[in-house]
Amino acid sequence: MTTPRPTARSRHQPALLAGFMLAQGVAAIFFIADAVDDLMAAPPGLHVLAEALVAAVLVVGIGVVGWQLRLTLEEMRRQEQALDTARGDFLRVVEEQFTTWDLTPAEKDVGLMALKGADVAEIAEARGAAQGTVRAQLTRIYAKAGVSGRAQFAAWFVEDLLD
Amino acid sequence: MAALNRGRAGGEVSPPNPWDPLVRFSHWFLAAAIVANALLNKEGGTWHIWIGWAAIAVLAIRIIWGVVGPYEARFSAFPPSLRAARRHVGALFWGRAQEYPSHNPAGALMVYALWGLMAVTLATGLVMTGAKGPMTIASEKAAVAAGDWSVLVKESDGHDGEHDDDDEIAEEIHEAASNLILFLALLHLGGVLIESKLLRRNLIRPMLWRRNT
Repeated sequence: MTTPRPTARSRHQPALLAGFMLAQGVAAIFFIADAVDDLMAAPPGLHVLAEALVAAVLVVGIGVVGWQLRLTLEEMRRQEQALDTARGDFLRVVEEQFTTWDLTPAEKDVGLMALKGADVAEIAEARGAAQGTVRAQLTRIYAKAGVSGRAQFAAWFVEDLLD
Repeated sequence: MAALNRGRAGGEVSPPNPWDPLVRFSHWFLAAAIVANALLNKEGGTWHIWIGWAAIAVLAIRIIWGVVGPYEARFSAFPPSLRAARRHVGALFWGRAQEYPSHNPAGALMVYALWGLMAVTLATGLVMTGAKGPMTIASEKAAVAAGDWSVLVKESDGHDGEHDDDDEIAEEIHEAASNLILFLALLHLGGVLIESKLLRRNLIRPMLWRRNT
């Protein structure tokens, strides 16, 4: 009964970006400190100019990575919301159909767990009921829905998604 | 239908879980820097100065992130308010604590206090070292160790009496602020533990990593 999650790669990307950003910041601060030191100690020469340029590039880099990080975080949030909405919509559809079939509250609960792929033993344990009770409830659910068994029961909800 | 409610309830307000990685990393980096510089390494040593400079960078990035970052990392999501903080702590002990989308008001005050004290500590540290980069200081130390004491002479020449007084004041502030940071850090830790217990929710894990699924 797992829900789909973003892949490991996309999950670790923000962490990589953030780590890179902070490392860049630390690197930049040392270059800036050194460049300021040199600027105060001696008239600006080629060496100092090069250092200042490196520091500037690093700072711009931090900005770019930060922007990328923010976009990635926002994208992940949007995807999660979309997934939540889809999940909620699907549950609503299932709930309405169960009501149409006149399932009792207990049967609705069992039916939902069956849809999620739990077997009789798991459902019995989750509900603290005997396996025989669950099996009888499943049989009544299939009868009310007019399907032959679990496979057809699940297919009933999936087939609309697979046009 | 118990099974239906197992997922995340829509529209429920709660702090991010986990916090965004920049918030997490900067939090633990600064915590480690405080422990290292206040308790572990030699005062004014090379490591102390390197870590201080790195902390400047991390604190600066976190503060910029407080303006341009995602919603819950922004200052606008956790405005400082003494009244709200008092209300939150009161509600907590009456068992009616409210959930907030970012730091709770008491936590927010702690965040600003710690950041402010860190800024003071870092700034006075810069005054004490003459804002010299760690590389300059390291090379000066190497020169002294090699027998070239000219850098020291130049330094004491540049210091008149007034300047020494400034250094002394900076040092006092540096120490007072860092002691206050340690005290507040302990208070922060205690607050997190107590609130975790009262809310029956682990507040530490979202600051560490994503929940395992």
